[in-house]
Amino acid sequence: MKPENLVRADFITGIVLIVFSLTVLEESWRMPRLEQLGAHPMSAPGLVPGVLAAVLLILGSVLTLRSVKRGGHHLGLNGESIGRAFREPGNLRCLITLVMCIVYAGFLIGSIPYWLGTGIFVFLFVTIFEWRPGLETSARIKALAIAVIMGVVVSAAVTWIFQEVFLVTLP
Amino acid sequence: MFDSLGQFISAIGNFVTLTALFHICWSTLLGIVIGSLPGLTATMGVALMTTLTYKLSPDLAVLILICMYVGAIYGGSRSAILLNIPGTPANAATTLDGNPLARQGLAGKAMGIATSGSVLGSIIGMIFLATIAPSLADWALKFQSYEFFWLAIFGIVVSGHLTALDDPIKGWIAGFLGLMVAMVGQEGIHAYERFTYGSTALLGGFALIPAMVGAFGFAEVLTVMRNPVAELVTKTNDSVVPKLGEVFRYWKTIIRSGIIGTGVGIIPGVGEDIGAWVSYAAARRKSKEREKFGKGSIEGLMAAECGNNAAIPGALIPVLTLAIPGSAPAAVLLAAMLIHGIRPGPLIMIESPDFVYQVVAMVLFASLAILVFGLSLTKVLLKVLTVPRERLMPIVFVLCAIGSYAITNRTFDIWVMMGFGVIGFILREMKYPMAPLVLGIILGDIVDKSLRRGLVLTDGDFMPFLTRPICILLWAITISSILMSIPAFRKMVGRVVAKVRPGRGEA
Repeated sequence: MKPENLVRADFITGIVLIVFSLTVLEESWRMPRLEQLGAHPMSAPGLVPGVLAAVLLILGSVLTLRSVKRGGHHLGLNGESIGRAFREPGNLRCLITLVMCIVYAGFLIGSIPYWLGTGIFVFLFVTIFEWRPGLETSARIKALAIAVIMGVVVSAAVTWIFQEVFLVTLP
Repeated sequence: MFDSLGQFISAIGNFVTLTALFHICWSTLLGIVIGSLPGLTATMGVALMTTLTYKLSPDLAVLILICMYVGAIYGGSRSAILLNIPGTPANAATTLDGNPLARQGLAGKAMGIATSGSVLGSIIGMIFLATIAPSLADWALKFQSYEFFWLAIFGIVVSGHLTALDDPIKGWIAGFLGLMVAMVGQEGIHAYERFTYGSTALLGGFALIPAMVGAFGFAEVLTVMRNPVAELVTKTNDSVVPKLGEVFRYWKTIIRSGIIGTGVGIIPGVGEDIGAWVSYAAARRKSKEREKFGKGSIEGLMAAECGNNAAIPGALIPVLTLAIPGSAPAAVLLAAMLIHGIRPGPLIMIESPDFVYQVVAMVLFASLAILVFGLSLTKVLLKVLTVPRERLMPIVFVLCAIGSYAITNRTFDIWVMMGFGVIGFILREMKYPMAPLVLGIILGDIVDKSLRRGLVLTDGDFMPFLTRPICILLWAITISSILMSIPAFRKMVGRVVAKVRPGRGEA
């Protein structure tokens, strides 16, 4: 991350930390002290989370103030800057990876047989990232073949190891 | 003394079986491969391997994890030398001299020196592990809630400071966030449900292994896919086997780096990367060939690799004796030991002294394995670096997902892995170190129970936390670490030192 973006990110993180720690502080305060059960007030469940939230509140405030001092509160967020960030190849690769992983692990696993979901995920991952514009047909066929082989082999191997060797009931 | 030697020899005997040797070979080799692939770290390797070994007997499972750990930290030197990218954060100092040597056509020599440095560093650390751990465990028997509370806070603050030297506040935020994560679930004194919001899946808190697989595995998949591909130096025509004279010419550097690495490893949550940097800096300060550092110095490379590998046994010392990890991979190892029913901590020398010497023997076998594989499989390991990330990362993610699920057969843990992965990735992008976060998750329970138990015992009086001798030492270092990160305070100390000892106070 570029230094100017880091300062802005620090500002946002600082605010998030302040809100988060205030919420935790409030929740910790509302936790029962269990005195009616004869428990010592110093053993109250909310004591340590409350102390930790107070520390995070201080750290978040320092981070925010430091960022404001460096101009981090000028976020400069607009359609153009967001669009530029999305067009940056590294960010785009990362976003596609994130979406594919969430769809596979969060939705495919458990909805269709594990071996099928895994095979589809590996095949699509390899295909999408190795599919470059301007590639010759023979190279494309080769890339597709590699993706198919990888999908089948990885899916079969992982399914076999976890199901047969580790005796795991696959999702 | 002879008793310990006897136990060590008997521990070695335990692992001289075909099964154990087979496990040593494949796990060390896999560790080297994982470490050498940029982005895949030792922590991720140990975390993933924990999910794959939980059905094995405890001694074999821990053996595999230690071989993976040692192999991965060593393996990271390969990409540091050949790609100028540290395979694991522990090998960052290796790039400074390793890659310039490779660019001078001496890649083989650099790999040979890195191998010998790693092996010697591990063995020096192993000697300290065998000698310090029993005495430290004995000493730790004096620890009560007050000391454990400060030890945990000391670990978070010092680890946060040393892993984020440019911006310690981020290290502390990561550490305290980790402690906060550990507050979720039933607490250990009254079994009250904290921050569960009615979810039964959260009653036991966030499971440690899925959280770590996410923070180190999934986050690394995202990082690797985001970064551009690096250029590989493939000319390794010179010999990988170093001349003995060339290695032992730097015996002072080897011993110094071994001691520094082990010492840094013992500090909770600091780990191998700092071990390498501190060893490298010390070697440079003491070297007669200071001008060669950063341009392809054999001594610099030796110091870095010796320092990071010596930190591994160093990091295992607090794991075994205090149940407090010295590094991020050691934190996962600690969690794995707990899963296997091993109870590390001050009582270990009373309850299972054999296990301590078994761990020493495991480090020895792992070191010998990296020596053999490091010097013999150069070409094969070079091939590994040419595997495109597009083909490797889906496999890593498939293992992250199924590994997280397999421990308790809960799909909820897959979501935990993904959640921690995304948070870990974002924090990493914003330069937050991961080691204090992991340490915080591990130490949260200790902080919670120790503070409340201590206060109940003293009827709410905090003074024993401040006046007991070990507590004084721990809080004094903790407070100094915080104060020294404040520029105004540092300048003031500098001015005072300059007045007392002219010429030494300028930073």
